[in-house]
Amino acid sequence: MTSGEVLLEVHDLVQEFVLRDFGGTKGGVLQAVAGVSLELHVGETLGIVGETGSGKSTLARSVIQAPPPKRGQVIFQGQDLVKLSGRALKSARRNLQMVFQDPFTSLDPRWTVTRLVEEPLVAYAEGDRQERRTRVSELLDLVGLDPERHGGRHPHELSGGQCQRVAVARALALNPKLILCDEPVSSLDVLVQAQVLNLFEKLREELGLSYLFIAHDLALVRQVSDRVAVMYLGKLCEVGPVQSLFAEPLHPYTFALLNSIPSPDPTVGRRDTASVISGELPSPLDPPSGCRFRTRCPRAEGRCAAEVPELRELTNGRFVACHFPLPAREAVAADGKAPDPVVAVAPAPLWPAEPNGAG
Amino acid sequence: MSVPAADLLTTAPAQDVLGGVGAGPRVRSRLRNLEIIVPGALLVVLLFFCFIWPLLYHIPSPTVADLFEVNRPLWSPGHILGTDAVGYDVMSRILYGGRVSFEVAAAVQAIGLVVGGLFGMIAAYRGGWTEAVLMRILDVFIAFPSLVLVLAIADSLGPSETHVIWALSAFSIPAFARVARAATLRLRDQPFIVAARLSGTRTWRILLQHLAPNLAPQLLTFSLLGASLTIILEGALDFLGYGVPPPTATWGNMIATGQSFISVYPQYVLVPSVFLVATSICLNMMGDGLRARWGVR
Amino acid sequence: MASATAAGDAAPPDVRLGPSPLLEVSDLRVTFHSRAGNVYAVQGISFSIEPGQTLAIIGESGSGKTVSAQAMMAILPRTAHVTGSIRFNGEEMVGRSERELRDYRGRCVAMVFQNPERSLNPTMRVGSQIAEAITTHLPLDRKQAHERAIELLRMVRIPAPERRFYEYPHQLSGGMRQRVVIAIALACGPAVLIADEATTALDVTTQAQIMDLLLDLQEETGTALLMISHDLGLAASYAEDVIVMYAGKVVERAPTKELFAGVRMPYTQALLDAIPRIDTQPHVLLPVIGGRPPDLSVIPAGCPFAPRCPEVQQDCRDQAPPLKQHEPERWWACWHPYRKGAGQ
Repeated sequence: MTSGEVLLEVHDLVQEFVLRDFGGTKGGVLQAVAGVSLELHVGETLGIVGETGSGKSTLARSVIQAPPPKRGQVIFQGQDLVKLSGRALKSARRNLQMVFQDPFTSLDPRWTVTRLVEEPLVAYAEGDRQERRTRVSELLDLVGLDPERHGGRHPHELSGGQCQRVAVARALALNPKLILCDEPVSSLDVLVQAQVLNLFEKLREELGLSYLFIAHDLALVRQVSDRVAVMYLGKLCEVGPVQSLFAEPLHPYTFALLNSIPSPDPTVGRRDTASVISGELPSPLDPPSGCRFRTRCPRAEGRCAAEVPELRELTNGRFVACHFPLPAREAVAADGKAPDPVVAVAPAPLWPAEPNGAG
Repeated sequence: MSVPAADLLTTAPAQDVLGGVGAGPRVRSRLRNLEIIVPGALLVVLLFFCFIWPLLYHIPSPTVADLFEVNRPLWSPGHILGTDAVGYDVMSRILYGGRVSFEVAAAVQAIGLVVGGLFGMIAAYRGGWTEAVLMRILDVFIAFPSLVLVLAIADSLGPSETHVIWALSAFSIPAFARVARAATLRLRDQPFIVAARLSGTRTWRILLQHLAPNLAPQLLTFSLLGASLTIILEGALDFLGYGVPPPTATWGNMIATGQSFISVYPQYVLVPSVFLVATSICLNMMGDGLRARWGVR
Repeated sequence: MASATAAGDAAPPDVRLGPSPLLEVSDLRVTFHSRAGNVYAVQGISFSIEPGQTLAIIGESGSGKTVSAQAMMAILPRTAHVTGSIRFNGEEMVGRSERELRDYRGRCVAMVFQNPERSLNPTMRVGSQIAEAITTHLPLDRKQAHERAIELLRMVRIPAPERRFYEYPHQLSGGMRQRVVIAIALACGPAVLIADEATTALDVTTQAQIMDLLLDLQEETGTALLMISHDLGLAASYAEDVIVMYAGKVVERAPTKELFAGVRMPYTQALLDAIPRIDTQPHVLLPVIGGRPPDLSVIPAGCPFAPRCPEVQQDCRDQAPPLKQHEPERWWACWHPYRKGAGQ
């Protein structure tokens, strides 16, 4: 499915925000993305998972240069987007589109569906009015909306799922190569979510699209991705092919995330309370030294505080940023088919019971 | 018939749980409608009499005095609101004075809306130095007590209707700029604006086609409230002799000349005052009503 | 309370046997009147909940699950017209005055809302908010209320409760804020705790923490827990019984294990199929039904799910199937239920 050709390369991307106090003085620097490198191949879907505050949305925004990152390179189709501006950036960004989380706020409430889908075509002066309208009809058909029935409506006259279809049609208007999806289905109901996910899948096959798919829902990421990157507090913990990463997580954080998912199968039973990750995300204004996960990690040792673990390739295609990656055995509980997770994770002291109240 | 019932249910009750005490929603919404319809209708009637009625029917000229008909009381034949000490027909002067008030209010608000609105939008959208410089310039205007500033400008320009408009615009432009800036700041980072930028739309297009239509309700209600204030300020300028010079009929001029006779003929002051205050209240009520209806903050 | 009338005989079929249950809802209907027409949000639901029980109500937005919860808390807006009965320990709550209800809310039934940001006052210290909830219902002085508030903060496992008492909501993380909201709900020891999408806005690890906390608290205090959620996975992991709602009606009710072992109602199956699962293969299309939930301003003659149902037949369109008990502890409203695994 992937041709191996690299479409997007991100090198040491850093994005910072200066926080200001009420008086306007500098209140601190928030490093939302702290040196992330990754690659995305043609025809591939790379899933990025992480919790609120992990910097996954900021990463996507930095890739598309809205706003541009503080440091690092974003090489898309051989061009470093960070170095471009104005017209050059506009023409380079043509093949890079984005779908946002909230379908209602990402569409101008005063515009009609037709006008919204036409906007990118107008911006890039594609064809004349007649040609553009034909293209809009094609696009609406493609995403499963009726141009006659829905074209004249405003976003508030549509359901959430329909709005997200409009947003997808907009993103497809210029025939992009890569679409960044920032939690595109997390605000939708289960059935609608499945419909939209299937739409993404259909478009991938028909149009040969690549996706950078951001979500907090691991099961969902597994459904759509070829490879997955796990983010924690602005850094990547683990990157790997979706099946082996889910079957045998190497980073303790990935393991904890997988263990937190409620399964729609009660025979799996309630997992051991002690296996739930404890504590809270530390403040990104003052991240822990060394490994950023160490304050919540049951395996943390002295070295974790002193030395930042680099993202390194452990086995083929499996990258992990951890001094003490998990052996494969403990990952069994993440697999739904495990006999009994309570038994599988039996030595509970792996996880500290007391929340350490960081942050 | 495609109102998604699902959405109605999830949002509507949640909002009402907090604010659901008091009159039933039906009564409240009906009151809200009256709040817009009644002052709106009164204003339309007044506008009709000021601008269209004199074209259709002959009324006495507001600037030609009839020396044989001085100091007529209210409801005199031929002079419904009587005549003043010089023999001007009060009714006619009220209508022509209303023209001046409405013209000045409309012009001042239009200038404020366009110039101030653009200033505020550009400042907030661009941010950084553009914003700092533009807003500091406007702050200078806001920092002065408004009437003093307006008087100073009106005095240096000399009395005339155009000059009144310029003077009062110095007051409306910064006000509109502030409102537009605050609203733009709220909208600027909305995903739909970011999405428009990412799809390659140019800045001026985003300003005019995305931001402006979304700001419109807020700026329009603000202009109604502003118009009410402008009418009062215009009257004040005329009264103090810095506005439209006599013998042109304006409500302010009528009050100014009428005040010498206030003990004998109080109606010379009262009649224009009633019109001035009523118009101002109507504009204000309509602005408030529309603000509530459109959910503008 | 023991003297409550044995209404069980006359009540609809899905009332448990025995003395009057803790909270009993029967034939609850909620209609919103507006100028545009009526919206029949809840169209006759019945269920009961016992002390210590965990019951989940599952449904999409617009299924009436939140409106039902609001009816149970008696916090519906005035546009809502409620009929049917909600009995707490045998006492009727529908039609009570606002004053009587004030005591009922908080002491008998308490609610944890979806969004902790909106249910906390941003300008008040969290401790004072808990203390306020205590003193409105219990005859305690300031000092006692303070002590009780700290006890509650400790109970919801907030570290350093003495210090947290004086903090403002914005100083806490989302998970901590939701813990505070739970502490407020528990302030007066309610018999029933309603969690309306209480973990939806939270991250998956925080969600697991909060759900575990809720279940632990339930064990400690013996409260009944009513989870309102759109997430079948969450219900499967934490609830004993599941009620599935669609278009204002209960369409299936069963103990969790049995429900997931063999779904009867096609809608429940559609919901289950649509969830991406951790053990499915990448890029496999999810089996999903088309269409949208029906317009609630008209009550259809047939089954509300008929237009989207893969198993639909003519009788489904003609007559709506009633919710009936078909097997021990299992109810469903369907003319043509799935029969796989019959007999277990």
